[in-house]
Amino acid sequence: MYGGGNVFETMKATALADEDPVKLAEFEARIDRGEKIEPTDWMPQLYRKQLIRMIEQHAHSEIIGALPEGTWITRAPGFKRKLALMAKVQDEVGHGQLLYSAAETLGKSREAMLDDLVSGKSKYSNIFNYPAFTWADSCFISWLVDAGAIVNQVANSKGSYGPYCRALERICAEESFHLKYGHHCVIHLATGTKKQREMMQAAVNRWWAPMMHFFGPSDKISVHSEILMRWKVKMASNDACRQQFLDMYVPKIWELGLTIPDEKLRKNPETGEWEFTEPDWEEFKRVINGDGPCNKERLAVRKLAEERGRWVRKALLAPKAKYVTPLA
Amino acid sequence: MALQSLDPRVSRLGIAEDSLSHLVPKGDLDQFETYEAFVQVKENKPFEHAGPVHAPNEEMAFLFAKEQYSRRGMFCIALCVIKTENIRASHFTDNGQDVYDTLDATASGEETESFEIFHLMKRGKQHKYAGNVMARDYDDALVAAKSLYQSAKPVFNIWVVKSEDILATDEDDQDIWDTLKEKQYREAIAYKAQDKIKAFKEEQAAQA
Repeated sequence: MYGGGNVFETMKATALADEDPVKLAEFEARIDRGEKIEPTDWMPQLYRKQLIRMIEQHAHSEIIGALPEGTWITRAPGFKRKLALMAKVQDEVGHGQLLYSAAETLGKSREAMLDDLVSGKSKYSNIFNYPAFTWADSCFISWLVDAGAIVNQVANSKGSYGPYCRALERICAEESFHLKYGHHCVIHLATGTKKQREMMQAAVNRWWAPMMHFFGPSDKISVHSEILMRWKVKMASNDACRQQFLDMYVPKIWELGLTIPDEKLRKNPETGEWEFTEPDWEEFKRVINGDGPCNKERLAVRKLAEERGRWVRKALLAPKAKYVTPLA
Repeated sequence: MALQSLDPRVSRLGIAEDSLSHLVPKGDLDQFETYEAFVQVKENKPFEHAGPVHAPNEEMAFLFAKEQYSRRGMFCIALCVIKTENIRASHFTDNGQDVYDTLDATASGEETESFEIFHLMKRGKQHKYAGNVMARDYDDALVAAKSLYQSAKPVFNIWVVKSEDILATDEDDQDIWDTLKEKQYREAIAYKAQDKIKAFKEEQAAQA
């Protein structure tokens, strides 16, 4: 899962003016040639800062995203579903590991990132601040939240930073199992008994608004976002990702006889664009800033896991061990 | 009052409501050493860099690397780990310039120690194993590798490692990779459902 809906920090324009113009030109020429940037290459501060922020948020989303789904492992219907969900959750945490390593190559230690996660300084995908009430919620996450994440990740894997691209290639390869598994779960409920159908529909109704929020608000067109696009940090606009998701998945939801709780949702045959009710961005902001149904629980569980694992790390620590930044 | 959750297991943890109000930053204590993991995807293919892991020692690094980089989907027949600080990286070149062409020293000809050489043939891709070289030290190994492994294709970055610093899979342990076949439920192909969708649509159409 789960990179998506990135909100980029605006930096003062002067920051870029302070950069060495010769090095900056070489850096941009390298990106224009389609070559990747590697950790020891010179890069502008703005590039480094935004990438750390983006990859770190993505990593946090993986490990926090494992919580609402992990809840359902012991209660998944049947042995096979339990095995599959366990494998999926394990994958997500593994993706977190890959992404933390990629962010580390830019100079921020894993410890600092985990501190910033628990303190609320850095964010994770807002959708995981909502609870998974039923098994059907877990199915919705496995299929559609993953689907949304894949749209973002495939775009980002064509970006300019080598370590992030390599991590994403591995992640995308594993996501195909998640997507098929999630779809299989949803099909099973949607084509099942009346009660199963109702349960699946209720989950779609609950998760549609967070799903539309997932891709983030429309990007403001600014000099800043133009630079990030040119440097291949941001590869597609939030709106473009949302449109692509709707295009790929709304027909697949409808064909299962499920409805989507938005009367305005339709594909405009003339423009080819999807029309929908504007998501409630006030709620999005409120939840992202800490006031969602599960923010507190997610972070408290994460913090407890760190505390409870401390004795293991302490026992394993070699006295002379010192931290080294990964190479690539 | 303990934090209440939909998940009974979380409620049972008895987390204090204000647990997030007193945060203690993680110390450096928590950071394990860094290792780079390399995998061999199939026979006759060179080892290639897979990514880093943090671990308290070499053997744990091997274990973590196996979990991290040889899970289903990406087949792996051999694995090795090298402590990151034991890898000497050359500088990077770009735009078609070969790193080897930027070296002006000559090899000592001394063959006191064994080194392994890894090449980056394309920026953004993985470093791949090029071969072994005998030399006096790291710098000497880099120069000595030029005559052995430079080809028409430019190399953009080179890693040099002492052979003794590599922990690799044992030939006799080949069966550690065999469990993958039993885990069909971890493959996308195990989740075919088109028949079910088709049957459902036909049923809906018949009812309409």
